[in-house]
Amino acid sequence: MKPTPRTASPLRTCVLLLTAAWLAVAAARAQLQIQITSGVTNPVPIAIVPFAEAPTDGTDVADVVQHDLVGSGRFTALARNRMPGTPTQPSDVKFADWKATGSDYMVIGQVTPIAGGQLAVDFDLLNTLTGQSVTRQRFVGTAAALRNAAHKVSDAIYQVITGIPGAFATRIAYVAVVGEGADQRFQLVIADADGYNQHLILESRFPLMSPAWSPDGKWLAYVSFESHLSAVYVQRVQTGQRTMVSERAGINGAPAWSPDGRKLAITLSGDSGHPQIYVLDLSNQHLTRITDAPAINTEAAWSPDGRYIYFTSDRAGAPQIYRISANGGGNPERITFTDDYNAGPHLSPDGKLLAMVTRDDGGNYRIAVQNLATGDFKVLTHGRLDQSPSFAPNGASIMYAERPGAGEAGILATISVDGLTGLSLKPTQGEVRDPAWGPFIH
Amino acid sequence: MSESARDRWLSIGMSVLLHGSLIVLLALGWWHLRKPAPAPTLSINATVVDARTLKGVGTASTPAPEPKPTPPQAQPAQSVPTPAVQPEGPPPPTPEELAMRQQAAQEEAEHEAEAQKQLLARQQAEQARDDAQRKAEAAAAEQAAQAKQAEAATAAKKRAQAQKLAEERKKAEAKKLAEQKKLAEQKRLAAERKLAEEKRLAEQRAAEDRAARVAELQQSLQEEERAQAAQAASGALASWQSVITSRIEHAWIRPPTAQPGIECVLNVSLVPDGSVTGVSIGQCNGDDAVRQSIQTAVYNASPLPPPPDGVPFPRELIITFKPTN
Repeated sequence: MKPTPRTASPLRTCVLLLTAAWLAVAAARAQLQIQITSGVTNPVPIAIVPFAEAPTDGTDVADVVQHDLVGSGRFTALARNRMPGTPTQPSDVKFADWKATGSDYMVIGQVTPIAGGQLAVDFDLLNTLTGQSVTRQRFVGTAAALRNAAHKVSDAIYQVITGIPGAFATRIAYVAVVGEGADQRFQLVIADADGYNQHLILESRFPLMSPAWSPDGKWLAYVSFESHLSAVYVQRVQTGQRTMVSERAGINGAPAWSPDGRKLAITLSGDSGHPQIYVLDLSNQHLTRITDAPAINTEAAWSPDGRYIYFTSDRAGAPQIYRISANGGGNPERITFTDDYNAGPHLSPDGKLLAMVTRDDGGNYRIAVQNLATGDFKVLTHGRLDQSPSFAPNGASIMYAERPGAGEAGILATISVDGLTGLSLKPTQGEVRDPAWGPFIH
Repeated sequence: MSESARDRWLSIGMSVLLHGSLIVLLALGWWHLRKPAPAPTLSINATVVDARTLKGVGTASTPAPEPKPTPPQAQPAQSVPTPAVQPEGPPPPTPEELAMRQQAAQEEAEHEAEAQKQLLARQQAEQARDDAQRKAEAAAAEQAAQAKQAEAATAAKKRAQAQKLAEERKKAEAKKLAEQKKLAEQKRLAAERKLAEEKRLAEQRAAEDRAARVAELQQSLQEEERAQAAQAASGALASWQSVITSRIEHAWIRPPTAQPGIECVLNVSLVPDGSVTGVSIGQCNGDDAVRQSIQTAVYNASPLPPPPDGVPFPRELIITFKPTN
């Protein structure tokens, strides 16, 4: 607040002048000190200028990048019709114009054919405020992999501006159910994280369930009923080579890879009728029983350090999530206490968050996360029947299957872990279930 | 008392029996001599009169305890037998017979007298005993009465004493109460006086204080004005700083990696219109995302608000980014 000027006395004037002089000296000597302790979590405004592209299959790299970045919830993009130009080289950029659009950053680039029939994707990330280049990178690939190259551009930009790696150039696996009646088929599908670039790796007239990525991204484990009984298979993604690893009496289900990729946690019911968690050593087929409560124990998920297995159990009456030593033995520790139905655990890559399906008071099944350190529980989605949460390898988003309305086919969607940004993936044929987000591809 | 009554009745019975037997003897005698008519009956009457007379003579001084009024009708029969009896009775006695009869009568009279005497004596004894008893009783009653009286007197005395004591106590209490009242009143008055005094003193002090303050205020007017001016200037400076801080904080899109423990110092160059002309990152343990974000924040906050009057624009701003949770 500024003091209202009073009748100026010679003395006051003198004092003010002295103070001002002192302040001036102080300012010149010590500068002005300011401390900033907080900020905002607004999305970063960015302009992604169309790339200069050689004629290709029609992939718009800038559009793919924009879709990726905006879909993450951490960016807002300047509409193309508001751009003051389409520069492709830093020397062509008039920063004042771009700064005037309110964009802090801009991306320019080009796709050029190079030797060997490949394409090079070059881009520059510029800071419109400083006029400086933040990063400049090149990705090389086939024309067919242009989308993937675009995702890599997105990853690079995301990493530089948010500080965490992007997970756009990753893959997902899911089960699609197509056709009806006698024509019904179950498909095991692999796609890019944005739902494009789908590849069918297995099709069956009998149910396929619960695909799970090996930590190196080279294998998928899943459940197949192709022999009329449930069995667990592992399949090499690249070649399609597959191995049946468990076809024991009763249920064989819910495979989950250990972080080192050497073991599978699976659910077996044997003859008892009570499904229990076991760990199967893939190198020697040795089976270790982990749980023994006379209740349903299923849906194993490993902690990233491999020490614990989280699982769903109704031992207390209703499904809740428990944790037990991955070596077996010891008593399971109950983890979830909010709501009377929590199932399908999945851990964030840093092991700090537990994602699950929770049922709210209205009978809606939704995706929730619980902070394992603080116990904070947060419902992220707003659907009716949201299922199978799976963390992105960077931990920033969760993919899940949602059923938009009764009778409608399930589709895939992502939600940022803060619950603020959701995105439905490109609709696919048929009913989509059981998404599994694969690891980073190196 | 009942015993003495029984005795009396016994003696009366005895005497009747005795008299009866005497009469029988007399009658037999008479019959034997001349067959006189009912002389014995008459003699009995005479005896009774004698006894009474004797009694009345002999014991005139002693008060009759219970006067038994006997009808005086039998008196004439005693001295002479009535001639009327003669013609009907046996033939008149001979002189010998008469003498014998007289002697017998005399003897009988003597005998009778003796019996009377005995009876009298007995009666007297009884009387005496009764008297004694009565006397004793009276004495006892007297004594009891006296004792009672004495007791009553003592009680009365005691009562009187107690009453006296009570009165005295009452008096003392009343006196005490009065004294207390008086004391309380004195105290109240004293307290009132004290209060009034205190009030007066307080008022005096307040007045003095006021005066002192006024004097002080007047005396230190120059200093105060000077201090006020300085404070206004520094207050304005602080408020300007906080405006800049808020502006930069709102411009800082904090990346996920800007966690507690990160500390980055920016040197910001300014020109007098408040525009940021340069940002250089000094000490900083943040990653590229943090560096980019803080630089961008400062540029986005430019131009900074102008400083308050009299405060020159600093050419350089040191901004420390130190995120908290």
